[in-house]
Amino acid sequence: MPDTPQNGQFMVAAYIVAAVIYLSYSLTLYLRARSAASGKR
Amino acid sequence: MTDDIARARTLLRIGGVVTLLALLGGAGVYLLALRYTPVEASQGLAQKIFYLHVPAAWGALVAFSLCGLASAAYLLLNEPRVDRFAASSAEVGLAFAAVMLTTGPIWGKPIWGTWWDWDPRLTLTLLLFFLFLGYGALRGALHDPRERARFSAVVGIMALVLVPFIHLSVYLYRTIHPMPIVLRPDGPTLPIEMLRTLLVSVAVFTLLYLGLVTMRYALGLAQDHAEANAGGTDA
Repeated sequence: MPDTPQNGQFMVAAYIVAAVIYLSYSLTLYLRARSAASGKR
Repeated sequence: MTDDIARARTLLRIGGVVTLLALLGGAGVYLLALRYTPVEASQGLAQKIFYLHVPAAWGALVAFSLCGLASAAYLLLNEPRVDRFAASSAEVGLAFAAVMLTTGPIWGKPIWGTWWDWDPRLTLTLLLFFLFLGYGALRGALHDPRERARFSAVVGIMALVLVPFIHLSVYLYRTIHPMPIVLRPDGPTLPIEMLRTLLVSVAVFTLLYLGLVTMRYALGLAQDHAEANAGGTDA
């Protein structure tokens, strides 16, 4: 039976990319909405 | 302070809390994937991208489907709240689609040996992403609120047509993308630890969708209020 492939770096890269997208979108959306709701555009 | 602004602030607070909880849940999913689920023998650790990629695909397709349905509802009801929800769901769907379209190739490289293939499912998903980028650009280009809502509703409905094709593409065409292993007529085929982690992840990212849509709706409400006031001042 073949050995399990050593490719953990792809998993780490995918989780980092996803975290960056979700966190940056959440933060910018919150700041945009807060600014619009306070009357600053 | 008007009712709309007060409502926008309340929605922003609720959406912010839900989003924060979901993001913490996302960190929990990472720990579950790493500590609880077994390493798949043939794919290695790269298989754990599954717990991120599948919920992102789920979030994107739900978001775009709801945008399409809300767009149809807008054309029937002419209700600005429905249009605001459609716009919110489309923008949040783009964030989920961005995660789906980046984690897919990172998973594909070690397993398929290539970052990308012009396979029907991958290509249709990319087209859907571009369609919703166009939807956002269209909304940004039109200044009359009713015209903007009507035109973008048509694009939202047209994009909705792509969603079932994407889901069924693995059955309809020869494709390198794997067949569904959870949503199957004869039930899921993966080990119980993997299934539990996947279900937790889908729940967490559904919560994230709800939090983000609530915040985006609050933004739309505040923007519509400012636009109406500016229109009132001009007239």
